[in-house]
Parts: sequence; structure tokens; C-alpha cells
Amino acid sequence: MKLTRFVFLPLAAMLILAAVMRRAEAVPAFARQTGQACAACHVSFPELTPYGRMFKLGGYTIGQRQTLPIAAMAQVGDTHVKNNKDGQGNAIVPKTDQLALSAASLFLAGKATDNLGAFVQWTYNNLNVNDAGKTVGHSGIDNTDIRLVGRVVNEDKTDVRWLYGATLHNNPTVQDVWNSTPAFGYPFTAPPNGIGPIAGTLIDGALAQQVAGMGGYVFWNRTVYAELSDYRTADGVFSWLRAGQDTHTPGGVLRLKGNNPYWRFAYNREWGANSLMLGTYGLIADVYPDDTLPGTPTDRYTDVAADAQYQYITDPNTFTVQATYIHEKQDFRASYPATLAGAPIGVGPTPANPRDTLRTAKLKLSYYYEHRYGATLSLFDTTGTADPGLYGPGSVGGSNNGNPGSRGYIVELSYQPIQYLRLMLQYTGFDKFNGARRNYDGFGRTASDNNMLFLNAWFAF
Amino acid sequence: MKAIICAIAIVLSLSAAVAAAESAATVQADQNAETLATHVCSNCHGAGGDSRSPTFPRLAAQQAPYIVAQIKAFRANTRGEQEAHDYMLGMVALFDDATAEALGRYFAKQPAVAGTPGDPKLMAEGKRLFTQGENGQGIPACATCHGADAHGNGIFPRVAGQHAQYIVKQLHAIQAQIRKSPVMHGIIKNLTPEQMNAVAAYLRSLS
Repeated sequence: MKLTRFVFLPLAAMLILAAVMRRAEAVPAFARQTGQACAACHVSFPELTPYGRMFKLGGYTIGQRQTLPIAAMAQVGDTHVKNNKDGQGNAIVPKTDQLALSAASLFLAGKATDNLGAFVQWTYNNLNVNDAGKTVGHSGIDNTDIRLVGRVVNEDKTDVRWLYGATLHNNPTVQDVWNSTPAFGYPFTAPPNGIGPIAGTLIDGALAQQVAGMGGYVFWNRTVYAELSDYRTADGVFSWLRAGQDTHTPGGVLRLKGNNPYWRFAYNREWGANSLMLGTYGLIADVYPDDTLPGTPTDRYTDVAADAQYQYITDPNTFTVQATYIHEKQDFRASYPATLAGAPIGVGPTPANPRDTLRTAKLKLSYYYEHRYGATLSLFDTTGTADPGLYGPGSVGGSNNGNPGSRGYIVELSYQPIQYLRLMLQYTGFDKFNGARRNYDGFGRTASDNNMLFLNAWFAF
Repeated sequence: MKAIICAIAIVLSLSAAVAAAESAATVQADQNAETLATHVCSNCHGAGGDSRSPTFPRLAAQQAPYIVAQIKAFRANTRGEQEAHDYMLGMVALFDDATAEALGRYFAKQPAVAGTPGDPKLMAEGKRLFTQGENGQGIPACATCHGADAHGNGIFPRVAGQHAQYIVKQLHAIQAQIRKSPVMHGIIKNLTPEQMNAVAAYLRSLS
């Protein structure tokens, strides 16, 4: 790879776009509504400041209702995969080593009344790859969160004692306000055409834009947060919450049976320029092995997670840490007997064990100077039960030893010349991929072959 | 005679009606300000104006005329600090003069925040500067306007109990004329960063 081609030419193009943006003086919907800068709510978008958390928990209702509460976002990037050739010499992922529009979103976001507000995102994915392996643009609903809120002021009329609300959303943890949970957790943006590990927990994005989540929450004295939500497949009147998803192809989405509970409890403390959160969240979900066969028995996934966040926000120095640990118990009460009987349920899992576990740990540390220059280090580690029935050998994407473990790091540098644009250079390195460092797929590929360098420009306007 | 009595009665009635209307408007403005202060302002300025983060000034027991003057300054864009633009410019555009005055009354009646002592040597130097000034640099005593107890007076703000980091930042902003304050600029133009830290440490210790 020539450095000139990968970094400097795309960077020059992005800076020209930044100059154009500066003249445009456009602002995102929430900033228009409050008249405040992005920095009021975001350390660096989407990571929220204490005020940003209150804005979200308050149902996006601070400020003045806009006649046209819309905003837009676009990401243009250039991805380089260390070894983008499979064993036969064919390209693994398309559109690498070239500047490409990866995604563009339209937001309907803001207050409707003093107690009702919404965040609705529609995204066009320009690098979507279809079943035939072709890159075909595709659009659909993205993260969505609609809130109805209320407040009870304390007796001395100095603060809100009870902030409570109801939320309707389409992605577990998208409603959360701490960036240690998956939906708005790190990495905030990843190479759209990179190569990802084989295993991930259910709560870590597997149900995104496939479910309808309804819940109630309360935040007491800015100290204790409690939420109970329920998830069900977004069908019937909720089908708009998964608009654009492939619900017809077996395995296109995950389908839940009935109502599936989610909890979230957090202790929050703010002192001086510091804020700290210690929390837990989790989900118990019954999943049909094949989403197109809803009459079958279901497997049960129990995800229990602990998380923490620390932020020190001043001018010019800001330092933030997020950590989460997710433990998933996979009870293949439907798929295992069916597999054992030689009659797997549709395209569902074919586990070799009746029960497996999957554990994911993530740690992210960021430093920002003047809310403009950022450096981030992230570590991630997924471990779990070896199960060759779930994680079989296969070129690039498989596991030779049936182990789901992957481990690695992300190093990121960012620069935000204006509040509507973030430029980012990100490197993802793998120590272990799908169970091993070397020959992890059974076809001679090493984990580090999947390392990625990603240059990205993120526009919000 | 009857005509004069009637005229006086009409004038008195009109005056009473105007006073009642003004009183009702004040009550309404106070209610609006209380909602605004508890639902919105408290998110940064803390409960009753007792902010936790030094990015945001403590407003508890602040002088009402000073708060009104600052709201108008944010509106007029004469406060050029980044935080003023990022946080306050849009917020203050949302309320009128009556609400601004009611917010002033609201924060003025909140109990003052207890002081936080710091380095004794630094506080002693700060106290000397605050109460006596520094003749050699042409710096008058801060207490002349802000009061011996630093509780402020009218448009001269209360600075007792304020975050030290906020005080220092404002002194730098005024010195650099990023924040427009002709009186203060002339007074502190020779103040050194070390002196700013000392005064801020002293003020933070007061309540």
C-alpha cells in the first residue's frame, strides 16, 4: 500500500469537504432545537456528556420545537485490510483501498411536546453486500428511540428528584445513556468493509433493528437509574421498527418468541469535573432457531453484563473510560436435540453442546484536547465454549478449532476541525481470531491478516 | 366635585388593575423561571445553582441584576468564551426579559454554597489581593466592588464560593477581551496568572 494513496489523497478530499461544510453553517437537529453546540451533549459524538445524558433521559425535549426537526449524516471512508485475499487469491471484502461513501443517514429528531421527543434514524448503506457477494446499496431504519417523560421536582424546588419515562425503541441498549453499553458503545464507527469475528453475544448488536423494545425507566436524584424493558420481534404494528430488514430469507434476521425481559440498573455520581457510573444490564431472550419457522421450539440466551464509565471533562483536557463485561449463557434447548436427532431446525444453529457460554470484555480509554484532538485505545476479548457445531472451519470466516475466541485492540486518532465533522484514523489489530492466532480458519490464515487501517470522515449536518 | 371623585376612582381602579396584572405577570414569570431552573438550568448549574463541574459557574445566591445582565450579554454575544457560545447562546434566546429577571430572583434567593479551603499560603495571598489590591501594578482591591465578603452588589457579581477554575478562566477571558467587560479589563489587565490562581483559591474558600 502506498501511504500517499491511502492517507494523503483522501485526507485532502475530506479537508476540502470540511471547508465547504464550514460555509454551509448547517447544524444537526438537536443543536438547532437547543441552540447549543454539539460539545454540550457530546464528548465526541456519539459519546454523551452528563448534560447529554440528561437531555436524552429527558426525552430530547430541552429547547424549542422545530418546524422541520431533521438532520443528516454521512460517512466517507477508506479501508485497508492487511491481507484481503483468500486462499484462492480472490478479494475477500470489496471496495478496499479506495475512498467510498459507506453510509448516509437522515434523522427525524427532536421534541414534539415538553414531554415527548424522538430520535429516528434512516440509513442508506452504500457498501451493503448481498447474498451473491455483490455490493449493492441498501436502506432501512436504523437506531430509533421515542420517549415520553415526566419529572417530579424536589421539595426545595431546586432540582428534578425523579425523572421518569417510557421508551419505544428498536435495539437493545440504544436507549441507554452511558456509552459502555453496546448500541452506542465503542467503536463508534468501524470499517464497513472489514472482516469481523465469528462470535458475538446477542445483546451486542445481534438484535439491532429487528425488535420492538418497550420499557419504563426512572432516574432518581441523578444517582440511581433503573429500567425494565421488554423486547419482542418487530412485526405487526411494530414492523416499521425493522423496515428494510430481510425478514423473508431464512437466517436474514433473528426472531424472538413472545416477550423477552431486559433490565438495567446504574449508580451514577458526579463531582467536580468527574462523573462515574457503575452498572449492570442484561437480557433473557427466547430465539427461534430459524426466523422463518416461528412454530418451532426456541433456544434461550441469557446475557448478564456489568459495565462502568468514568469521565473527566474540562477545558482543555477530557479523559474518558468505558468498560463492559458480558456473560452469555446459550441454552440450545431446541437446536441441540434437533441436531442430535439429525434434523436441524431450518437454517438454525447446529450446536455440538447442549449449552455454551460466550464472554465479551471491552475496555476503551480516550483523551481529547480542546474537544478537537482525540486519541483512543480500546481492547476487546471474546472467549467461550469451543463448539465445532457452531464454529466450524471455513476460509477466512471459520474456526479451525471450534473456538469462538477473538482478541485484539483498536488505536484511533481523531481530529474535529469543526463541530460537524470528525476525521479519524483507526487501526484494528487481532491477536486471536476465531479461536487461534495462526491458521485459525483451517486454510492457513493468521489472525493479523484481518488487521485493518481505516480512514474515515464523519459529517453531521 | 363628583367628577373629580369619579376621575380619582377610575385612576385608582386602573392603577390597581395594572398593579394586579403586573403582579400576576411576575408570579407567572417566577413559576416559569422555577420550571426552567429545575428542568434545564440544573443540568449544568446544579441543584439550586450549586454546580458540580467547574465548567459551569455556581449561581446560588448570585446577585439578581448580575444574572440579568449576563443573560443579556449572552444574547448580545458580548461574552465570547467558547462555553458561552456552546452552552448559553441558544438557551438564553429561548426566554424573554421577564423570565430573565425571574431567573435572577430565583437564583438570588438560593442558599449560598459552603466554601472549600485550599492551600493556606495561596489563600492568604489571594485574600491580600482581594482586600488590598496591588498598588505597584495598579490593581485596586476587588472588595471595593465585590464587597468585603465577596457577596457582590447589584451588577457586581458574587464571587464567594465560586469554582476556582471558573474564576481563573473568566479572568483570562476578560483580560484577553474575549469576554467584554471594560471596567474589569482595566482593573485586571496587569494581573498575573499566579495572582489569578491566588484570588481564585481565596474566593473558593468563602461562602
